[in-house]
Amino acid sequence: MKNAYVLFKRYGVALLSCAFLSATLYAAEETAPGVKGVTEEEFTPAKEVLTVKYVEMAKPYHMDVESLEGFFKDAQGVTVPLQMQDKAFPNGGGSVKSAEVKGIHDGLAIYFKVTWSDPTRNARAIAVQEFRDAVALMFPLGAVEITPAEHFSPRMGDREKPTNLWHWKADWEADLLVKGELEDMENQYPNMHDDWNFNPYSAYYHRELITSVEVLSGGRAAHNLLSQPGRGRVVEDLNAEGFGTLTTQAHQDVNGCSKYEDGTWTVIIYRSLITEDPHDVQFVPGGTTYFNMAVWNGGEQDRNGQKSISSQWHPATLERVAWQ
Amino acid sequence: MTLVHNWHLGRRMEYPYFESRPKHQFAAIFNINRCIACQTCTMACKSAWSYNKGQEHMWWNNVETKPYGGYPQSWDVKTLKLIDNGENTWYTDEKDEKLSPYGVYEGDTIFEAAAKKNINQWAVGYIPEDKEWRAPNFGEDVAKSNKPDEYSSLPEHSRWFFYIQRICNHCTYPGCLAACPRKAIYKRKEDGIVLIDQKRCRGYRKCVEQCPYKKPMYRGLTRVSEKCIACYPRIEGRDPLTKGRPMETRCMAACVGQIRLQGFLDDNPKNPVTWLIRHDKLALPLYPQFGTEPNIYYIPPRWAPRAYLRQMFGPGVDEAIEKFMVPSRERLAVMSLFRMTQTIIFEYKIEEGPKVFETTIHGKKFELFNDTVIGYGEDGQEIVRTTIEEPVHIRDPKHYNSI
Repeated sequence: MKNAYVLFKRYGVALLSCAFLSATLYAAEETAPGVKGVTEEEFTPAKEVLTVKYVEMAKPYHMDVESLEGFFKDAQGVTVPLQMQDKAFPNGGGSVKSAEVKGIHDGLAIYFKVTWSDPTRNARAIAVQEFRDAVALMFPLGAVEITPAEHFSPRMGDREKPTNLWHWKADWEADLLVKGELEDMENQYPNMHDDWNFNPYSAYYHRELITSVEVLSGGRAAHNLLSQPGRGRVVEDLNAEGFGTLTTQAHQDVNGCSKYEDGTWTVIIYRSLITEDPHDVQFVPGGTTYFNMAVWNGGEQDRNGQKSISSQWHPATLERVAWQ
Repeated sequence: MTLVHNWHLGRRMEYPYFESRPKHQFAAIFNINRCIACQTCTMACKSAWSYNKGQEHMWWNNVETKPYGGYPQSWDVKTLKLIDNGENTWYTDEKDEKLSPYGVYEGDTIFEAAAKKNINQWAVGYIPEDKEWRAPNFGEDVAKSNKPDEYSSLPEHSRWFFYIQRICNHCTYPGCLAACPRKAIYKRKEDGIVLIDQKRCRGYRKCVEQCPYKKPMYRGLTRVSEKCIACYPRIEGRDPLTKGRPMETRCMAACVGQIRLQGFLDDNPKNPVTWLIRHDKLALPLYPQFGTEPNIYYIPPRWAPRAYLRQMFGPGVDEAIEKFMVPSRERLAVMSLFRMTQTIIFEYKIEEGPKVFETTIHGKKFELFNDTVIGYGEDGQEIVRTTIEEPVHIRDPKHYNSI
């Protein structure tokens, strides 16, 4: 008894405050400051299953939307409802209400086609107030069956529940058109170094001066993929296990292409079904996985958590390969 | 949100992270009274860190004219409006030397304003557009005239402007660090320097938005943000010139007007920076009401209207100016250390010297003693020795005009 009293005297306050704190946290449904918990419905995947159709295809010479679009004509799409991101700070987005997703595979690679309407094309992130249009697909990493009991968060995954994300960026695509390099500062500001001439048809600019020095580019020196001029792709391959944990993969495997027409973005994202990277999601014909997605509207200053999100996982089943 | 103590505000305030002060905090004192806006500091910084492509608009150090100048344009007016709730006042009747030396701020900080407005981000802020970053000193030398028909006279001029020297404040509670949704910004435990991890940054510009001082800057070339790094290789003593001792930053060391003194805020009352800030209260924080506890301190200009200065430096302005105009014996000695060495001084000692003269300044008796001030480095070794009266060398009449 005396021992218990001594123990209580020593640790009682700490224990009591722990109990109080956890009760408060539970009551407030907060997992961390600025982050609200995920509701039960969100742990339940959507009913509608995306069938990733098996299509026999000769890989086109130009991997662009025009060449690839035709293969999707028999694929059944799902419409994914989108909403504002309101769980983790900073909240925002919600300007894009839905997106249509279609999937095909040819036994070697998987292709997702995402279409959504966006009145403005924002394919530049050079000026401080410019933000890009973007779309991301997210997959749970490893063979998981998502059930309400599983508690696999559809919002960036969770600790011990990692996800693989494919993030297409409009400005990366614009970069590729500039001889495989970055769309550069001088496209936006021809004479920024001396007079901030905003005239894009300025009489001259000191190419030599502004292209001579490659040092002192922090992002490049740190091998940040966003800063690399020769990245040669439009989709970033990432992992995340919860808010704020998004990390670029050391090995990039995903690519894509896009088209903007009549206020609609069509983005095709593709990757081989199987990769050697343990941080990648793997696709097996005949198997089922899940996906979730988000869309960023650069015209509405969307970036990071300010995005239109789907708050549920969506099942995706790959058709079996029809062997001859 | 957690509650942290902000001694500038004299109270606790809300912040997304726990209070975690570094061992000693990077800090500096700028004497506004002496600055002539020669921009040598600006160029020293530019030529060291931001001369490259995509950094054309970046001035990690800049000197701007007040009241009309600003880089980016009108940054302070815009941020002040965001926290204005009509009651941004100070309670100054009671003060505590350690916890609330200037009194208690009763208005909202950038963090509290965001919580009140329910905008679902950590702090209020705005992103200045590219046009607002075009020049390091918009509104240069534009004077404010309160009474245009009268000539000015001290202590306050009716026609006035002054220069304010700005670098990143390496705040104790940085707005940029709070804003970053992916913790790409960190504050070093050893010296309190705030840095952006160039690999983790994804160019969301949340730091550009929520730093009230607008010191993180977006670089279109690398698509990530950059900021003043407090010349950390020099602070770490990696420049061979100071033999492994912490060395002042480029902007400090280049100051020809001798307006700057850099050091570390710590608990040692004989540290010149700590003494001037915490004990003498001669140097004051810039816009303490933002709530980030900035670590660059200013000796306010004596000729500018006090109401304006109180808004800018808080309620300690009147006392600081009074002290600056009639300096005490110790204050004069410590102020003699400004720009005497580029090795950072950690402690000072005064050896008393003879009385040189006495006079009356603004009705107050002033005595000048030719004391000797000695500055000691991190390792306790003497690094500088100077006297109050500068030594006078009289040239031999034979060589009056020779060089």
